[in-house]
Amino acid sequence: MQTTSSSADTDVQADNLRRAAIDKSVKGPVLFLFLNGAFWLMASTILGVLAALKLFAPSFLGDCPVLQYGRLQPTHLNALVYGWGVQAGLGVMLWIMARRSGQELKSGKSVLYVAGIFWNVAVTLGLLSILFGGSTSIEWLEMPKWVWPIMLAAFLCFAWPMTTMFARAFRPEGFMVSTWYILGACFWFPWIFVTANVALHCLPGLGALGAGVNAWYVHAVIMLFFAPVAIGSAYYFIPKITGQPIASSQLAQMGFWALACLGGWTGMQHYMGGPLPAWMPAIGSLASVLLLVPVGVVGLNHHLTTLGKHHLVASSPTLRFTFLGALFYPISGVILALISNFTTGPTLQFTNAWYGFQIVAVYGFFSMSVFGAIYYIVPRLTGCEWLSVRLIRNHFWFSTYGIATIVITSLVAGVQQGGDLNHPEMWDQDFYQLVMNTQPYIIARAVAWGLITWSNIWFLVHLMLMVAGLGRRSSAPTLLHHGHDESSLPHGAHA
Amino acid sequence: MSNFRTFILALTASFGFPWLCLIIIPAIKYQALTPVAYDKDKDGVEGYYPPAPINRQGQLTYAREGCAQCHTQMIRPTQLSLDGWHKGWGQDQEARPTTPVRSNTLLDYLGEPYAFLGVQRLGPDLTNYGWRASSRQEMHVMLYAPRQRHEWSNMPAFKNLYEVRLAQGPKSELALKLSKPFAPEAGYEVVPTPEAEALVDYLLSLKKDNPIPGITAAAVKK
Repeated sequence: MQTTSSSADTDVQADNLRRAAIDKSVKGPVLFLFLNGAFWLMASTILGVLAALKLFAPSFLGDCPVLQYGRLQPTHLNALVYGWGVQAGLGVMLWIMARRSGQELKSGKSVLYVAGIFWNVAVTLGLLSILFGGSTSIEWLEMPKWVWPIMLAAFLCFAWPMTTMFARAFRPEGFMVSTWYILGACFWFPWIFVTANVALHCLPGLGALGAGVNAWYVHAVIMLFFAPVAIGSAYYFIPKITGQPIASSQLAQMGFWALACLGGWTGMQHYMGGPLPAWMPAIGSLASVLLLVPVGVVGLNHHLTTLGKHHLVASSPTLRFTFLGALFYPISGVILALISNFTTGPTLQFTNAWYGFQIVAVYGFFSMSVFGAIYYIVPRLTGCEWLSVRLIRNHFWFSTYGIATIVITSLVAGVQQGGDLNHPEMWDQDFYQLVMNTQPYIIARAVAWGLITWSNIWFLVHLMLMVAGLGRRSSAPTLLHHGHDESSLPHGAHA
Repeated sequence: MSNFRTFILALTASFGFPWLCLIIIPAIKYQALTPVAYDKDKDGVEGYYPPAPINRQGQLTYAREGCAQCHTQMIRPTQLSLDGWHKGWGQDQEARPTTPVRSNTLLDYLGEPYAFLGVQRLGPDLTNYGWRASSRQEMHVMLYAPRQRHEWSNMPAFKNLYEVRLAQGPKSELALKLSKPFAPEAGYEVVPTPEAEALVDYLLSLKKDNPIPGITAAAVKK
């Protein structure tokens, strides 16, 4: 009897040691990515405030060319996508991949640092080029054309060790849905990125087809990079925190393969009614609406996994952010379907609804899931716990209300704008009515980005303190509610 | 998924198929597109469709300043929107034309390295702006001081494309005719830089409603 219990003890001990060794092996690069990502996130939200203000009052801060809306808006989105999104995404991917495959990062840590530095330098120079008059005006690819090879090389430096970890741990009989998604993201992103950049920057010119390729690029990056990273993270953390296995492996497989098959078809519907051959927007529209199936399947699976453990959403910061992120997945899917079908699409086309979709997907869905992951990962890497419950709560509520405001006002503004544009009485009117009608929404957006900036500044400070090793020295994690249910956090949640 | 290789193959196939059909094959086919000659008997016009390329130098300025964030260059067909009936968005500047402006085709943008179809429509559509433009002078004033014409305008003032200089001798005929709050100090004048001239050239070259050979050409012949 005694021997069994002591051998179980040594097993737990060995497990913990193995986990600690894995954490230690990826600590530096992961924290580097998170910290730089959080910095870019803050920069991007500040730029978001400025862009909204400039859209409302174009002469605000003078007529300095660097700060005109046409340059600020792309800088804001590029900082969000490449500075924060891809970078923080890589950090989460690397940690989950190492943990889930049980592999330490064997070698090449310095390569990862160098790649990370190159990525950040490339993004910085690229964004400065946009501001100082080097913008290509190709959505999400506004940075000048010499930037992308550097970014691609840096990304591949991270993707390679993840692929080898995945390959070493691949078990034919086992099914590890979170690493599937993450490997998918490693695999799809470079492919999409190279295709779009070569097509738009290296080929002699694709005219209107180029615009279609660009729309495809934006949708594919959302559907086949941001979505897989966020879903992979949710599939890892929801079972971990609730202590329940993923509800259904069939649903999980279905959700994965349906996304893999449909994601690449979306995009061209962005220019419905435009110069592209009619079948292209049609198939994009079809795929975007069909995406509701995998979106619903994954949503259902997450819901079933959380079932009965909803009280943990209140106490665990990780689960709270992940839960909200997972909730935003179906919402993003519905918004995509709304802007993509041929009934409501033409009304919402060329309006703020498009901005609303980008933000709900990249911020609401992806970033919230990544915040959840960061709140779990960082204490394990730094060996100390988050300092302040209040800061986490502040981050959560400001982000939630901010994002909800931006998404809802953008959608309503889109309906308003689209309705105005297509109103029969507007046929000989100038844009006075349109400008006046969108103003309140733009002000709301500026305020919302302001709130989010506030929370992000504190998030950055909190993260910096943690990385500096100034967190709480305690064996108990920082929970949002200390109550009767604290002890009900399953053991695995602390591992 | 029996093994790693099958998994990777499945990933490749599921994404590679749309990639091939939607991007690669259309991109290769696009390279073969050339201007189409009008048939004088059937279409009633001579020359090629599309007739003249846009002004590329000005388009670079258009890209740099991010004009496409607020201006579209794409007329949608009437079953999807009322773009085609909007006053002044086509060649016919008169109120209530008999036929709507036609929607655009791939060939309308032939010769442009990248077509700026646009992100949002916060300002008027510019597809056929070349027909609507009044005079270079007014376009320059619009770019330099958008609120001189409409005080509610939310368009940025692109003062970086203009030069304020000491007026020497007789006033340059290029100088912008600006009214009170926008006018420079006495003795100074505002003149367009070559970039502004190129941008205006580009905007004037935007005429994407040329008749399509064999389809609309006969109908619009005058």
